Amino acid sequence: MKRVRRSQVEIEGKLRERTEVVEEDPSPPWDDRARLRVAGRPHPRLDGRAKASGAAIYTQDVGLPGMLHARILRSPHACARVLSVDASAALALDGVRAVLTQENAAAIPWYGGTTRLLERTVRYAGDEVAVVAAEDEETAEDALHLIRVRYARRRPVLDPGTAPRGGKPSVYTRGNARKAVSGAPVVVAGSYRTPAALHQAFETHGSVARWEGEHLTVWDSTQHIFGVRKELAAALGLPLHRVRVISTFMGGGFGAKNECGKYTVFAALLARRTGRPVRCLLTRAEESLAAGCRHATVQTLRLGARRDGRLLGIEHRSLCDVGAYGTDGPMPVGGPARTLYRCAAVRTEEVPVRTNTGPHTAFRAPGYVEGTFALERAMDRVAEACGLDPLEVRLRNYSPGDPRGFRYTRKGLRECYRIGAARIGWRRRARLGRRGTSLRGLGLASQVWPAGGAPPSHAVVKVNPDATAEVLIGTQDIGTGTRTVLAQIAAEELSLRARDVTVLLGDTGAGPYSLLSAGSLTTASAGPAVRAAARDARQQLEELATGLARGKGGRPGPREVCREIGDAMVIGRGARGPNPEGLKACSFGAHFAEVEVDAETGEVRIVRYVAVHEVGRVVNPLTASSQVEGGVLMGIGFALLERRIEDPATGRGIAVDLLDYKLPTALDLPPIEVLFVPGADPRATTIGAKGLGEPPIIAAPAAIANAVAHAVGADLPELPLTPDRVLEAIARGRRAP
Amino acid sequence: MPEARTPKKPRRARGTKSAVHLLLRVNGEDREVTTAPHRTLLETLREDLGLTGTKHGCELGECGTCTVLVDGQPILSCLALSADYEGREITTVEGMADGAQLHPLQETFADLGAAQCGYCTPGFLLTAKALLEEKPSPSREEIREALAGNLCRCTGYLKIYEAVEQAAARMREEGPRGGR
Amino acid sequence: MRAFEYLSPKTLEAASAAVRTAPEGARIIAGGQDLLGELKERIATPGRVVSLKAVPGLRGIREESGSLRIGALATVQEVAESPLVREKAPALAEAATSVGTPQIRALGTVGGNLCQRPRCWYYRLADFPCLKKGGGTCFAVEGDSRYHAILGGGPCHIVHPSDLAVALVALDASVEVVGAKGRRTIPIADLYALPAVDASRETTLAPDEIVAEVSVPAGARSAFRKFREKLSLDFAVVAAAVALGPKGPRVALGGVAPVPWRSREAEAALGAKPVTAESAAAAATAALAPAKPLKNNRYKVPLACAVLRRTILAAAGVADPGPPAPPATPAPTKKAGEDF
Repeated sequence: MKRVRRSQVEIEGKLRERTEVVEEDPSPPWDDRARLRVAGRPHPRLDGRAKASGAAIYTQDVGLPGMLHARILRSPHACARVLSVDASAALALDGVRAVLTQENAAAIPWYGGTTRLLERTVRYAGDEVAVVAAEDEETAEDALHLIRVRYARRRPVLDPGTAPRGGKPSVYTRGNARKAVSGAPVVVAGSYRTPAALHQAFETHGSVARWEGEHLTVWDSTQHIFGVRKELAAALGLPLHRVRVISTFMGGGFGAKNECGKYTVFAALLARRTGRPVRCLLTRAEESLAAGCRHATVQTLRLGARRDGRLLGIEHRSLCDVGAYGTDGPMPVGGPARTLYRCAAVRTEEVPVRTNTGPHTAFRAPGYVEGTFALERAMDRVAEACGLDPLEVRLRNYSPGDPRGFRYTRKGLRECYRIGAARIGWRRRARLGRRGTSLRGLGLASQVWPAGGAPPSHAVVKVNPDATAEVLIGTQDIGTGTRTVLAQIAAEELSLRARDVTVLLGDTGAGPYSLLSAGSLTTASAGPAVRAAARDARQQLEELATGLARGKGGRPGPREVCREIGDAMVIGRGARGPNPEGLKACSFGAHFAEVEVDAETGEVRIVRYVAVHEVGRVVNPLTASSQVEGGVLMGIGFALLERRIEDPATGRGIAVDLLDYKLPTALDLPPIEVLFVPGADPRATTIGAKGLGEPPIIAAPAAIANAVAHAVGADLPELPLTPDRVLEAIARGRRAP
Repeated sequence: MPEARTPKKPRRARGTKSAVHLLLRVNGEDREVTTAPHRTLLETLREDLGLTGTKHGCELGECGTCTVLVDGQPILSCLALSADYEGREITTVEGMADGAQLHPLQETFADLGAAQCGYCTPGFLLTAKALLEEKPSPSREEIREALAGNLCRCTGYLKIYEAVEQAAARMREEGPRGGR
Repeated sequence: MRAFEYLSPKTLEAASAAVRTAPEGARIIAGGQDLLGELKERIATPGRVVSLKAVPGLRGIREESGSLRIGALATVQEVAESPLVREKAPALAEAATSVGTPQIRALGTVGGNLCQRPRCWYYRLADFPCLKKGGGTCFAVEGDSRYHAILGGGPCHIVHPSDLAVALVALDASVEVVGAKGRRTIPIADLYALPAVDASRETTLAPDEIVAEVSVPAGARSAFRKFREKLSLDFAVVAAAVALGPKGPRVALGGVAPVPWRSREAEAALGAKPVTAESAAAAATAALAPAKPLKNNRYKVPLACAVLRRTILAAAGVADPGPPAPPATPAPTKKAGEDF
């Protein structure tokens, strides 16, 4: 029975009201007593061999007969009016088949209607101006250099501190925070800054478009095939059934591939115009300029506490540089301040400001990484002001429930603290100190992230005559291991081995709708849907077994039933049930870092790292530990290395390659230990699991900054912790008493 | 499979830019290619020869994703002009398996979760293959050094080290196999 | 990349002639590890590319009458792994080991490493018509100068990117080049000129001159150290090489100046006496005394000071007692509100 209700759902840290179709899922949750054979055990990726043999076809690898190659001309100016675009020389070049400009391209609204596909006003250096389709990449690139554009330049706005508002601030209050902080015996105040950071997935954004009559097929490197279908169909004015989006394998997204890109529409328009398939892939420089970023923040934070370290009030305000367009408003930078600690008086405010820089987008735990850095830095300062151990201060402010007034399905943060502190030897902290030019420090940080998943997600399970099964679902595997985890879940319910199950995903033409692969949603949303579908199939098999039961032979097993019914196959269907009313499902974690700081050079070396997470049941410990290791390393990058850089005069991106945009290498990886709090969370989902995609990055920059602050004896107010900033902090630490 | 295309000559007064005819030795086979002199080895492999296992990462030699072997040594195919590599033995990920039998590294990368999104995997595999051919029992430190030119944005490298170590152990036990 | 003509002559002389006669400019390609990037960004648009792959006899590393002779096409990896280099010119082996990544060291050549173009982001991006590209402005002055020169800068403020050159300057190497007028040998320091001479290039070579061989006096005690933000795939923020040879100490810094920077101040401070912790610290301070940082790179002064002090001690085999107290690293003098 389906019904409709209004419901609140928290996706990517943002609470949203929405209308929800509720389809109850009668599956009894897999709790700690459930005896599982396949789910919950390590399993190699089912697509591991395809990837390791080079056979896996990514969007970048799709080649079609007659395919043309598109390249995009981008504005070199951060703010300008396009006076004219003359593409005649480009069109005259051998091999050029079409050029799209504002003159001849449909005026398709973009970025929430704030601009159009190709507009007369360009608002950041990298904004799209024209697109060329040619017989090969080199010719398309040659053609870009032949397009003559006249610009009337304007002075760009680059400093978020003085930039105009870019939308409504997002304000949350409980109690009177200002009064509570001002009256508190201990007040810690500070300003913390985080940079714009780039996802830098190794497969750049890109699409291949092909028309067959009225039907459009698009291969796209995306985290949301159904989202791309919807946006693309709307942009082109097509009915949904004539658009098919495929993403079989994709080379990383991290939040930058949640939506339909302009490049997808360009490919589709040029393919229609030329009657040929068209491929439009971004270069690495374009990826750095125009494919989204974690938005920069300037956060001001005031914590008021009693002398025993108990929080009385939190005031948190963040300026969020959403860039030239950013339509999704500011990210939830205040999320950790709102929910991590017990505190009666809290005010958070996220203020979007608009600069002439590349638009922001979601990036792995958007807002929470930045907000956790500021909050956890300040919590260490509260501990210092009260003469307490940082872990003790966190325990004194522990909130068993969501302090906004919800209960949690489960909260394992206390166990995370306990396990991690023991593992890293937290008690040594007070004894660490200086040896020669080496300063040692130990830091920790806590993490919360809404990760219970949500409907809608639908799945179909087909059982074959040989008792193998296929799962059809319109989700996508962005590298996390979704294929494998869903196969494990179906296999568990059907009493099969995971390798007897094939999961067909990443194709809007094959599987029913499932949510985007973002917000740590996938396992907790698609997983229960697959389980429900597999359970439906199993129940049908059992009913058939009863019908087929005869005389002394007794009741046939599922394998015999399949053989018996042959091609009259059993098809199960299932949907993700509703989230429990009044309960919040979050993943938790605590990270511990030990660092060595070179007092003379400012170099930070992480000598040990312990990451502990509580995510309910870990469906596949092999893929989960990899997810945590990678998340921690990405967090290390954000803590120590990564930052988008614009030229302060022109606003042009200047760190647009992977030399200047610095990603951690194999040699920058410290020893990382990954631990999970055991046990399922059966109140969160029927599979007892919660999301894990984002949690591993959230606490890492804060834990590292806290360790460095401990080592140098001074606050670190800005990321990344580059040598200049660390040397400056060391100098401040030395001057401090 | 990408179709083979005859490169188009830009219509521009820049002297004669004839196409070059190359005889490349790829994965043990001689392959004839007619291509532009300014094609990189990466583009030739992917666009002219349809060997899409080698991936584009950054185009500037700063990520290792496009690594292939030349005479057994890992190099960046995005920073190599095809014309410079005539007569050299080029190995791509497609040349690692022996028929249906995957190379031990391919097996352990798959089994131990070293391929997450999988996009950087072919580059890592070839770099690791060169390492194990030179040092059958590398230490963890030697593996780190050898792989320091291949970036991975998903895994955090640990699973990759483990896969290389286990493949090394397997290869020592089993002795040389047919794979290239 | 713009289309070009590809030639592969069999002698250096023919290669030089092929460059000289190119109607639309030519570039030499050896390992290609730097050139390909320039071609792709279209900051180099030669009509002809001349490959050295067919020129024989440019690869070996051998010892001859007290000097190491290293062919220009010897790869960086071959230098890093050469037992001869490791023993007789350790600073050079250490510098080679620190270059790029294993893949880049495999193809990158000694000649190419010495002649590579700067990594300055304003130079590398076609959208900035900087001095080095024939424009009128050094964008680093008003722009983001965190990795730019603190010594010898102006009017262009790049830092020279070669690690090998820093070691070779300290080791008092010389370079043999081949061009229209035949062969000539020059001290490595004379291979480079400051932008005040000609901002459009870093070397003193004529366009058709090609590095053929590097000669390194063998046997001096030497060391090289490099500070970078990442432990692989990164250029030096600061590098230092020190050689203690029979003619006295030679000190070079990398990552701080538009050329590999020889510090006569540091050499004078060390003098002919045995190196001590105090003299090393004094020499490092002396080397950085003339530093003139830009807006964003003041931090490189104490950083270079520290790296140099440690490199001197490493070359001399003196244990590092840490910086002298009060700290040799001056507390950065930061004005309130200034972007550090």
